[in-house]
Amino acid sequence: MSIQEIYNAVLAFDEATVKAKTQAELDAGTDISSILNDGLISPMDEVGERFSAGDLFVPEMLVAAQAMKAGLKILKPHLAEGQGRSKGTVVIGTVKGDLHDIGKNLVSMMIEGAGFEVVDLGVDVDSETFVKTAAEKKADVIALSALLTTTMPAMETTVRALKEAGMTVKAIVGGAPVTHAFSEQIGADGYSADAPGAVKLIKELVA
Amino acid sequence: MVDRMQTLTEKDLNWIHDASMEVLSNTGVAFNEGEALGLFQNRGFSVDGKVVRFSEKQVQEALSTAPSRFRLFGRNPEKSLWVGEDDWVFAPTYGPPFMVNRDGVQRPGTMHDYDTFCKLVQTSPHIDMNGYKHVEPQNVPAETAYLDMMLSNIVFCDRPFMGSPDSRRAARDCLEMAGIAFGGKDALAQMPVTVSLINSLSPLQYSSEMVGAVLELARYRQPLLIANLIMGGTSGPVTLPELLVLMNAEILAGLVLAQLAGPGTPVIYGTTSCPTNMKTGAATVGTPETAIISSMAAQLARFYQLPSRTGGSLTDATLPDAQALAEGALTLITAVRSGGNFILHACGMIGGYIGNSFEKWLIDEELCGMVRKMMTPLDFSAETIDTGVIARTGIGGTYLMQPETLKHCRSAYFDYALFAKGGAASRSPADDIAKTASDRLRQRLESYQKPDIDPSIETDLNQYVRHRK
Repeated sequence: MSIQEIYNAVLAFDEATVKAKTQAELDAGTDISSILNDGLISPMDEVGERFSAGDLFVPEMLVAAQAMKAGLKILKPHLAEGQGRSKGTVVIGTVKGDLHDIGKNLVSMMIEGAGFEVVDLGVDVDSETFVKTAAEKKADVIALSALLTTTMPAMETTVRALKEAGMTVKAIVGGAPVTHAFSEQIGADGYSADAPGAVKLIKELVA
Repeated sequence: MVDRMQTLTEKDLNWIHDASMEVLSNTGVAFNEGEALGLFQNRGFSVDGKVVRFSEKQVQEALSTAPSRFRLFGRNPEKSLWVGEDDWVFAPTYGPPFMVNRDGVQRPGTMHDYDTFCKLVQTSPHIDMNGYKHVEPQNVPAETAYLDMMLSNIVFCDRPFMGSPDSRRAARDCLEMAGIAFGGKDALAQMPVTVSLINSLSPLQYSSEMVGAVLELARYRQPLLIANLIMGGTSGPVTLPELLVLMNAEILAGLVLAQLAGPGTPVIYGTTSCPTNMKTGAATVGTPETAIISSMAAQLARFYQLPSRTGGSLTDATLPDAQALAEGALTLITAVRSGGNFILHACGMIGGYIGNSFEKWLIDEELCGMVRKMMTPLDFSAETIDTGVIARTGIGGTYLMQPETLKHCRSAYFDYALFAKGGAASRSPADDIAKTASDRLRQRLESYQKPDIDPSIETDLNQYVRHRK
């Protein structure tokens, strides 16, 4: 048994093996930090690099993340306070009046795969719900998605509502008709043209 | 005629149909709108919350009332069209939020752009009808932009046009404006004047806005183009046979609703489904898979004796370059050759539906003309085959000055407006077709003449729009 086998299983998107080997290392008394950092978190860095280079495809990246999370779930009850904490909390949703969620779902899964806790509010989410959830979850970032130009004004409404509530959470926007210029116009903290860009942006905002 | 693209056999078609019926009767389709759910319930459909399930009998009953061909009327009756069976039309790009210039730079669309597209359609020798939402005009309020677009559709162009199905309210206003233009709303039930695009939300849903529009438009028997854009591997199965099953199930569900709301409403069976780019997660449209889906959708529509919408000049390229035209030509020609009846996005589309390009519009328009010429059958008869000219010209002679050549030299072959045919010496090395198109745009618009319209109709339309804003 070895940590390397867990690492390899994550890269092979093999959830069953990740779970089995993580449990086995835990049972064998291996240092938990080592299982966590070398066996589960490190391979996700390689997954991210290989995805950015075009060597890993989206489904592979997502399933690798899912495999890693399965291993993390086994470790969680044994982790010390502060260990295995997510990199931050992101609240994401498609804005009021809009039911499209394909892009939002992809961003949500990729952010989670990158080590963030994600609260996905779904579609047709009003600004009050975004504000309330951001406060409850102590969110670091709110990510707003829209596919329709007719629902883009709801992004401005939400950004304004966050500011009026005196919240310091960062708000980012995205979706096919959304532009960098629009994000600046409505006072958002960032914009991304695609899902990988959204992950990068969130990492920068939370750092 | 040998066509190496796959022709679905009766067995294949039935396999797809039966699998779609399994989806429709077991999983069902969600309609997020109360009136539609009530309608389904009252007609004996299985309704469980928002999910409707369908039986074979219910689907077949609906199919029996949907026509295989219909007449679409323009303000100018000479420009009215037949759609379905062997009749097909080219319609322009629909729905993008941005304009894209020759260098690939995007900017938000405006009403000026929209009006320009209406004028291009009006002056087009190859595009058969006007569309809707050529580009989303972002310099007018979003919630009432459809009124401005409908007004331009009716006033700047006298060809048939596509309607505004963005919501129930937009559909109602579309009907009111069409009524003003065509002699009253009551006349519309006998006179299809708009085709409205209804998209499902894959997998297996219809939004309240789309359902509301179906109900309003079907009541006046205005044709509905019921379509989906399934992204293989994301919002639908990754393998094409299974994707076709999902596609088919969604369209049939929408068709059933349309027939319940307005029996006999023409329904165009449509899709623009495509793969997911597995490296980025985005839809990718300029692909061989898109062409395959397009061909098979046209075949499935014929199986059901419905008109079909597929294809268009579809590309992922972000500027009007060689990739744009290579991908566009592939998808355009496939759709037409496969029997598609309503070729939406026939001109202009760029960047995977993100933009419209004036240059690509003009280049695609020329391509549409070439494709239509390719599809025009030759006439083999005593009148068209006269061996006399061959005998007169003899062995080694020239045909250039024969009377037949003189008579037909201007009409025998396709007349190019744009593509360079004069050889290398006739053009500057810096000129490419996109530049030629760009330069030609102003000249083309100068040829535009606003079509005649009864001044009282135009006044009433303007008043209606002002009142509704």
